Amino acid sequence: MRHRSPQNHRTITRRNVLQGAGVALALPWFESLPAWGSERPAAGEAAAFPQRFAALFMACGINSKHWWAKGSGEGMELGKTLEPMAPFKTKLNVISGLFNRSAVGVGIHPGQTGNILSGAALQKGAELKGGISMDQVLANSVGQATVQPSLVLGCEQPITGYHETNFSMAYSSHISWQNATSPVPMEVYPSLAFDSLFDNRGSRRNKSVLDRVREHAASLSREASAADKTKLDEFLTSVREVEKRIDPMRGGRAQAAERAQDRGKPLASMERPDNGLPEDIREHMRLMCDIVALAFQTDKTRVASLLLCRDISGLFYPFLDARKAHHSASHDDLSDEYERISRYYVSQLAYLAGRLDAMPEGEGTVLDHSCLVYLSNMWSGSKHDSTKLPLLQVGGLSGTIQTGRVLDYVDKPDDDRKLCSLYLSIMDRMGAGLDRFGDAQTQLAGL
Amino acid sequence: MFTKFLSTRAQAVAAAMSMLAWLGATAVAVAEPPPAGDDLQLRFNKTVQPFLQTYCHACHSAEKTEAELDLAQYASPAHIARGHDTWAVVIERLEAGEMPPEDAEAQPSAAERQAAIDWIRALRRREAERNAGDPGVVPVRRLSNAEYNATIRDLTGVDIRPTREFPVDPANEAGFDNSAESLAMSPALLTKYVAAARQVAEHLVLQPAGFAFAPHPVMTETDRDKYCVKRIVEFYQRQPTDYADYFEAAWRYQNRAALDKPAISLAEIAEQEQISPKYLALVWTALSEEPTDVGPLARLQAMWRELPAPEGNQPAVARRGCEAMRDYVIQLRAKLEPRFDNLDVRGIHDGSQPFVLWKNRQYAAHRQSYDPAVLRVAGAADGGEKEAVEASLVVPADAADRARHEASLAQFCEVFPDAFYISERGRDYVGKAKDEQEKGRLLSAGFHSMMGYFRDDTPLYELVLDLRQQQELDGLWQELDFITSAPMRQYKGFLWFERTDSRYMRDPEFDFARSEDKGVTAEDKIRRLAEVYLAKAVDSGGEGTAIDAIRDYFERINDQIRWVEAARLAAEPSHLDALLTFAERAYRRPLTSIEREGLLAFYRQLREQEALSHEEAVQDTLVLVLMSPNFCYRMDLATDAAAPQPLSDYELASRLSYFLWSSLPDEALLARAAAGELRQPAVLASEARRMLRDDRVRGLATEFGGNWLDFRRFEQHNSVDRDRFPTFTNELRQAMFEEPIRFFVDLAQHDRPVLEMLYGRHTFVNSVLAEHYGIPAAGLQTGEWTRIDDAHQYGRGGLLPMAVFLTQNAPGLRTSPVKRGYWVVRRLLGERIPPPPPDVPELPADEANLGELTLREVLARHRDHKSCASCHERIDAVGLVFEGFGPIGERRENDLGGRPVDTLATFPGGSEGQGVAGLQTYLRGERQEEFLDNLCRKLLSYAVGRSLLASDDLLVATLREKLAASDYRLGGLVETIVASPQFRTKRGVAEFAEESPR
Repeated sequence: MRHRSPQNHRTITRRNVLQGAGVALALPWFESLPAWGSERPAAGEAAAFPQRFAALFMACGINSKHWWAKGSGEGMELGKTLEPMAPFKTKLNVISGLFNRSAVGVGIHPGQTGNILSGAALQKGAELKGGISMDQVLANSVGQATVQPSLVLGCEQPITGYHETNFSMAYSSHISWQNATSPVPMEVYPSLAFDSLFDNRGSRRNKSVLDRVREHAASLSREASAADKTKLDEFLTSVREVEKRIDPMRGGRAQAAERAQDRGKPLASMERPDNGLPEDIREHMRLMCDIVALAFQTDKTRVASLLLCRDISGLFYPFLDARKAHHSASHDDLSDEYERISRYYVSQLAYLAGRLDAMPEGEGTVLDHSCLVYLSNMWSGSKHDSTKLPLLQVGGLSGTIQTGRVLDYVDKPDDDRKLCSLYLSIMDRMGAGLDRFGDAQTQLAGL
Repeated sequence: MFTKFLSTRAQAVAAAMSMLAWLGATAVAVAEPPPAGDDLQLRFNKTVQPFLQTYCHACHSAEKTEAELDLAQYASPAHIARGHDTWAVVIERLEAGEMPPEDAEAQPSAAERQAAIDWIRALRRREAERNAGDPGVVPVRRLSNAEYNATIRDLTGVDIRPTREFPVDPANEAGFDNSAESLAMSPALLTKYVAAARQVAEHLVLQPAGFAFAPHPVMTETDRDKYCVKRIVEFYQRQPTDYADYFEAAWRYQNRAALDKPAISLAEIAEQEQISPKYLALVWTALSEEPTDVGPLARLQAMWRELPAPEGNQPAVARRGCEAMRDYVIQLRAKLEPRFDNLDVRGIHDGSQPFVLWKNRQYAAHRQSYDPAVLRVAGAADGGEKEAVEASLVVPADAADRARHEASLAQFCEVFPDAFYISERGRDYVGKAKDEQEKGRLLSAGFHSMMGYFRDDTPLYELVLDLRQQQELDGLWQELDFITSAPMRQYKGFLWFERTDSRYMRDPEFDFARSEDKGVTAEDKIRRLAEVYLAKAVDSGGEGTAIDAIRDYFERINDQIRWVEAARLAAEPSHLDALLTFAERAYRRPLTSIEREGLLAFYRQLREQEALSHEEAVQDTLVLVLMSPNFCYRMDLATDAAAPQPLSDYELASRLSYFLWSSLPDEALLARAAAGELRQPAVLASEARRMLRDDRVRGLATEFGGNWLDFRRFEQHNSVDRDRFPTFTNELRQAMFEEPIRFFVDLAQHDRPVLEMLYGRHTFVNSVLAEHYGIPAAGLQTGEWTRIDDAHQYGRGGLLPMAVFLTQNAPGLRTSPVKRGYWVVRRLLGERIPPPPPDVPELPADEANLGELTLREVLARHRDHKSCASCHERIDAVGLVFEGFGPIGERRENDLGGRPVDTLATFPGGSEGQGVAGLQTYLRGERQEEFLDNLCRKLLSYAVGRSLLASDDLLVATLREKLAASDYRLGGLVETIVASPQFRTKRGVAEFAEESPR
């Protein structure tokens, strides 16, 4: 597919951007803004920085002996597992004691996982039924302004089949759900996730179709009578108009790349990952975090979920001197081995936070305009205990969340410690406020 | 009918529309000068022109355009002919003596007035005759939202309704949304069309041969699983596998003489009872042809022989006995089912795929045999009476007797399997009894946490299904693998499980086989893993069956994966063929070779240049077809010929199907078109008749009926106060909407007289509506509709007292005789009444707040005002007869203010009547012709997709004659419409080329 860059009429194909050069360049949000014609803020209106949300999921709980925090701000003390977060103490909230009512007392594993972002009751047996997840609620509102409404990424392939509790294993594999019955297809290939940002396949495919549709209409119109021509021209004009609207989005990429080259030093760059899955899980997780960071900085999307491993995970970590696969290791959750695994996952959050914090944006950084949530479906893997969940939150979401705090809800009544209340708070602060979500009708007090 | 008023706004629209329409007609006039033209011109110059100048132009000209009416612009008879709707109003006002107004400077004499009226009438008559049969301007247009949905439904076989979120289509002047006059396209709408086409493509399922559409989107693996599993399970559930049915059928055959069917065959009974003839023959043989005196078969034969004889042709007497036989078989078979132990090799999990599948195969292979271990040799304790099932497990001690007994038992098990098929399977390897295992895991292989399906239906396949059904079932299972990639996914699950719940593959030598690796299902990798896996099993002491099971597993899974890969590749050409067939249906005509090539070239371009997968490229080509104007526009209306010409067969097919079904032609109609027969009048008429009988005539009922009678949007009607009327639920609202549609569909399908709409004594209800109407309708299932013949006894019957109209035309907390009356005279009778002036005071919203006066009295007061009276006298009385029905169409004695209702009315013209019956008498006596005229005009306008022209006058007259001659039946009306030149022809291009302003 060939198309013209509106500026210099130099033909750029998808391949020579993505493969020929080997490196895709992208400009940070504020500089590439003019490329998004329709999303440009109205004249005179200050360009507020976009707010972003990402959820990072680790399955089967953490080592609770070493998961604690005390104090606040720079003086915050962190347990061993949370040490990777030390550089971000002032931008971190350690939140304990929240729980998801629909995930308690229904059976272990899939029933504790498929609703972690939705709070919906899950149905057992052959037919899937739950609820839309909060990241997809956000994708349906704030996501409409970007190339991709959301990124739904995973580092472990989804599976189906039945768990012994008679819940489908699909619930163990997906935290992002587009509606009650279907999960969002999860991207596990870093190369394809990368392409989805820099090569808007959906638009490109529609463009190909519309090119042909225009030909159909034009050839019919040539043979038509005057009255018929009027009707067909109305159609033709509409097709051209829609094509024109697709073009800037596509041309914008080339434009941004060219301007970056002119400046000589692109501020954000990332090599396109190789095709296929990385052999090493460390590389896999890192690439996925890089893609989220790049997508946030360049405002390709404002919503992401990253399933670092699925529930009942089969990942194994020889580099941590752990021979048991993730799920088996979690059954000995107070072991040093599982502490190393838990800390390794926290270090992924730290890595992503670090990338975002290194991206200046206005007076602060991209991290300051984001809200990262890191959570697991259990507190204790050996007890399959989901009556409270480990949860970290990083980034002030453009000053709407006060950070550097330890928030403990453990001793609060159940109604005051709902995970879905946290989601209501976050959605509200991102302009996608709902009256109720999951089991919650009020926002989380004290956030 | 020239006793009509025209509102000024409608008048402006009408003038604009008829301008367009008449431009073409006058071109015809040039070619063929009318004989009376000179005379009309002469009279125009001599009398009409001076009349207009003297009495009209002072107020109605470009300088001073009272009522937005500029009569001075009409400078010639030809010009006036183009604006016939405007001039109908002129006649109207002149006849009523309202124009010129009383305070005008000059008033014409009666003779002058009459001369002007006569001339305008003569002009219209001449125009009507001169261009009679003119098809009018009917440009190409996009499908309306309703047509789009119905077309997609009939094209894909699933009701996706992709236009749900489209803006509502505007209606044309005649009130219909199916004409080029009102159907426009815009970039915003086109964007929605793209989304709609994509939405349809999301339902696409590629099959081993061709493709289909799923009732739900199939974008994720779980969607695909749901689609395939459901179809197999539903196939199973459709099969007749109730033993009692077969015992009863065999009894019927045995007693066929007593049941008055001495000559009936076994196969005929099977067909009649909708059971398998193949299996019935088997059961019949087992029960009757080989009597035995040992084992369960002997017991069963005895039970069957003891079934009661038929009593007075009442076969039901045997049912209970047949069910007892069935229960005996099922209980005994459960006890005889063979059991198998788990395979065991040290280090291999009991739930590992090779072992679970091996066990599943053992069960599947032994469904028609028994487990000898459950038999007990008869001993001293076995005297006396025993419960039948228990007794059947006891075998004689004597060796010869025992052998005979067991042979009979084997025969019994051969005929009566322990299950015909297994549609759910829990984790058998855990060791729980069957009835304690997990439920609801449809077709599952019974693994732990891993996906995988297992087919176990040999008894059904061999004993019950005929060849065609066997092929269908084989096809469904193949599609499961093909569509869901089940073997690949199952194998990846295996790799994961063997490292998690099982520790078997945690050793480093297995590290090369990771489920994350895309190439892991390649043949060489599977073989390599098989070797390593087997080697470890042998080292761990595995041997014999267990080793065979493992080897078997890798062989089978590899074969299955290879089959899916090969089948997918082999299927690609069939998908392209299916695409072309789809495009042909979508375009509603054969494709040209250029079009076929174009679609295939697009597919190839997507594969080769855009690097899309086969499935993506097929989807996008499908989207192209749905976005092409050949699909989403009615291209059959386009003209490329010079002169007026008959529609081609295919064009006529589309015109017919969009008229009667709001959808595309079906196979039968296209076959007629392909054979070139459709233009034969007899064929056209018989197709129209056939289509009226089809269920898709609901399209006509909803789109024509709904728009004509203004209830099309009632499903969204929201102005009822549900606190005051708690019975007005969504279900009731839906039922109200449905009632006139059911009524109309019945009228069309049974070719009933259209006058039943006015005078019918019947209607249709479901349980919700029956309760609302106080009609006893016990035993009506939810969702079930029934015809009530004596609805008039409950104050219903025909359209007039239908709740949908009474509710829609009531503003909430009171009734509105004005709106209800207006609906009758405007919608049903076609009388045109201008809108009220803007400064009319509102009536109180709640009847309870009317004070001393009744609504009737309040309305009577405003009729004292002369400016109100001229219109309200025509509508209020008609509306007052409905006062016996409250704001949601419920019958009532008192209004909401507690005052008794009064339904007496003095109709226009002075006659009196009470309630709906009185109105019906009045309509029959004085207004029936208006109703018929209006119906003919509306239906014609809907059929040809444009507003009517003067040149349609003669056809309308013919329609009315034929309608009267065919006992007022709808079929006759439809037949006359489709036979008319207006319906069968279209205007040529040349006329428009010559078009020039005059």
